[in-house]
Amino acid sequence: MNLYEHEAVGNIYTRYKIPHAKYVVATEPNEEVAQFVRDHGGAVVKAMVLVGKRGKAGAVKLVNTEAEAAQAVTDIMAMQVWGETPVAVMVCEKADIEAELYCSITYSTETRSPVITLSMQGGMDVEEIPEDRITNFPVAAGPAVEPYQIRDMLVAIGFTEKYGSILRQASLVIAQVYAAFWGSESRMIEINPLAIVRVQKKDRKSGEMVTALTLRALDAVISLDDDASVAPQKKYGERSAYTREQTRREIDALLIDRDDHRGKAGSYVEPEDLGGDIGMMTFGGGGSAVTIETCYDVGLRPANFTDIGGNPPAEKMYAISRIILSKPGLKGILVCGGTASNTRIDVTLGEGLVNAIDDMAKEGSLDTSLIWVVRRGGPEVEKGLRLLHECFVRNNIAAVIYDSELPITEAPLILRDLLVKHRDYQVAGQQAQA
Amino acid sequence: MYGPSILNENTRIVVIGATGREASQVVRESEALFPGLILAGVTPGKGGVTIEPEVPIFNTIKEAQAAHSALNLALIYVPPASVKDAVLEAIDAGLKTVFVITEHTPIRDAASIYRAASEAGVKVVGGTSLGCFVPGVGRIGAIGGKDPSGALGEGNVVVISKSGGLTVTTAEMLKRRGHGVYFAMGMGGDVIAGTTYGDMMEELEADPNCSALVMLGEVGGTYEEQAAEMVAAGKFTKPLAAFVGGEFQEDQEGVAFGHAGAVVERGKGKASDKKRLLAAAGSNVRVARYYHNLVDCIEELGVKPNLADSVASQVPPKYSTI
Repeated sequence: MNLYEHEAVGNIYTRYKIPHAKYVVATEPNEEVAQFVRDHGGAVVKAMVLVGKRGKAGAVKLVNTEAEAAQAVTDIMAMQVWGETPVAVMVCEKADIEAELYCSITYSTETRSPVITLSMQGGMDVEEIPEDRITNFPVAAGPAVEPYQIRDMLVAIGFTEKYGSILRQASLVIAQVYAAFWGSESRMIEINPLAIVRVQKKDRKSGEMVTALTLRALDAVISLDDDASVAPQKKYGERSAYTREQTRREIDALLIDRDDHRGKAGSYVEPEDLGGDIGMMTFGGGGSAVTIETCYDVGLRPANFTDIGGNPPAEKMYAISRIILSKPGLKGILVCGGTASNTRIDVTLGEGLVNAIDDMAKEGSLDTSLIWVVRRGGPEVEKGLRLLHECFVRNNIAAVIYDSELPITEAPLILRDLLVKHRDYQVAGQQAQA
Repeated sequence: MYGPSILNENTRIVVIGATGREASQVVRESEALFPGLILAGVTPGKGGVTIEPEVPIFNTIKEAQAAHSALNLALIYVPPASVKDAVLEAIDAGLKTVFVITEHTPIRDAASIYRAASEAGVKVVGGTSLGCFVPGVGRIGAIGGKDPSGALGEGNVVVISKSGGLTVTTAEMLKRRGHGVYFAMGMGGDVIAGTTYGDMMEELEADPNCSALVMLGEVGGTYEEQAAEMVAAGKFTKPLAAFVGGEFQEDQEGVAFGHAGAVVERGKGKASDKKRLLAAAGSNVRVARYYHNLVDCIEELGVKPNLADSVASQVPPKYSTI
């Protein structure tokens, strides 16, 4: 789960003592914002969104007065940032920046361990940092990296050429970032920039105000592990992968698995643009993925994604079948899965799907102009496919049914050819010219 | 000794979390197929119970070892939050192979497990492994259901897949075209995988029972790229047919949330990157455009079927109302 900056700072930076700018969070101009701007002689107002490149989208504004701040809050809240509506703004203390580092920690499949990535050229888009100016440091999996290990890394990236005076402080801060990464069960923490800023502080000997350098994390991009020992939803609530609101069908599907852990039938997502005309009833993670991929490849337009598995009972299969079949604008249905090891085909197709078709036919809500292609293997497949065929016959449904003799990814090709031949289907993309 | 290091004639299994619903079913089915392969189960607090017909349950792995000194493989079925504990117990007990069937292991625990296993010289397969099947020798996990020989024929092709479902589906597609398997293994699709294609390839290169490798990959990580590097370095010279899923997602990405992954794995991780690197790795590699082209790929590389080809060139439907 990806966190908003204010969540990351408020919950994780604070807890792990990662230095950051003072801030307030707001959704509209108010007295707290005005007071903050008066106290700090200006502020930076940032949109709270999950997309990157906020600066380029104009969603980070520098303000000097209360009036400017109020205007910025109002403007940003009304903005679409790369298609995403801000949930709030952060009003942050301005920073007097001396230099900007890039610092991230994530898991690498090269070393199968955490890796700390550092560069002296932060601030810009990380893809634009030249490859020889950014360094990955694998570290052994464990709760801590010692500050001396970080100092070795900082020396290696040239930190001490100019900033040796704050080497020790920087190593402590980055060791804390690692502690936060491990402790919060993050998949990724990215701080860009981790800034070296100038601050005014009282000199201990003379008692006069002098300029000193210190480190401050001026951004927070944190992605928590969805499989963490404490599910991130418990703390941060459910979060859709899309910027659009969930559809009725997507919400209904979520309810299928909520109170019943037998198998999985409730993963149902529609494309971001809600389009598509092929109802997808696909089984298993890998099987579903190759089937959908082949659909796109041959010019079909999936209307939904599913990933049904783990031998769900007939009731669950009944519920997800009705949801898939209820989306308007469908032209074909693809029922497609590999060779199940565990999932019973007589229960899922022969009972759950068959009952859904029969009931919808009775209610008059079944579109009998759809063309169906079925491909499935697994326990009790003969019985399951026979029951489904009998159901197609009594409901006048145009369908072809295959078992595992047909390679799984030939099923989308067969559906496309049938739709083109019998329903004048307009094939998408390049396939149309081919 | 016939069979790969992870499952062969010497393998003797202890099932951790054996009294759970899925695990006890797998124990019963596996014992019906290969009696004597599973010697014991462990569920803390349930020591003294027996899973019918005759697999005794112990409280700890050390207790199980005291009764069955031949144990050398732990098959893990515990809930995600207990996986690390179970694997470390198995490593500490000196077992040399561990299969983690459990899905959704926290990534932090997976990284800790990989570190501990590497230091101890233990091979961990998974998390999210479907298991492994070696025809004639044994079966780990639920792979192939009650009757694995229905979908998996005996032969010399090795199937290694991130996706569990596609492990069996691919083996069956091969069998129907006349290619039996030496073994089929679900390595799991977790970010931190205990055992990858690359971890198996050195052994497969040296094993005369392996004639070819079929690799099912997925978008994300760099395990497919590592396999390509091994081929390019001449460490794997046998025929290799690969399919990598997930290319369609590449067109659907928006503005990325963070970039750390992209920096750590620059120019890697996408399905198209993987396919390109594999295709360029050596003349012994073919990358399938469609998943169902995999069999053609290994045949193009000169692998001959050892069973009857039972597939019509145009497969007729079982039923049709069109």
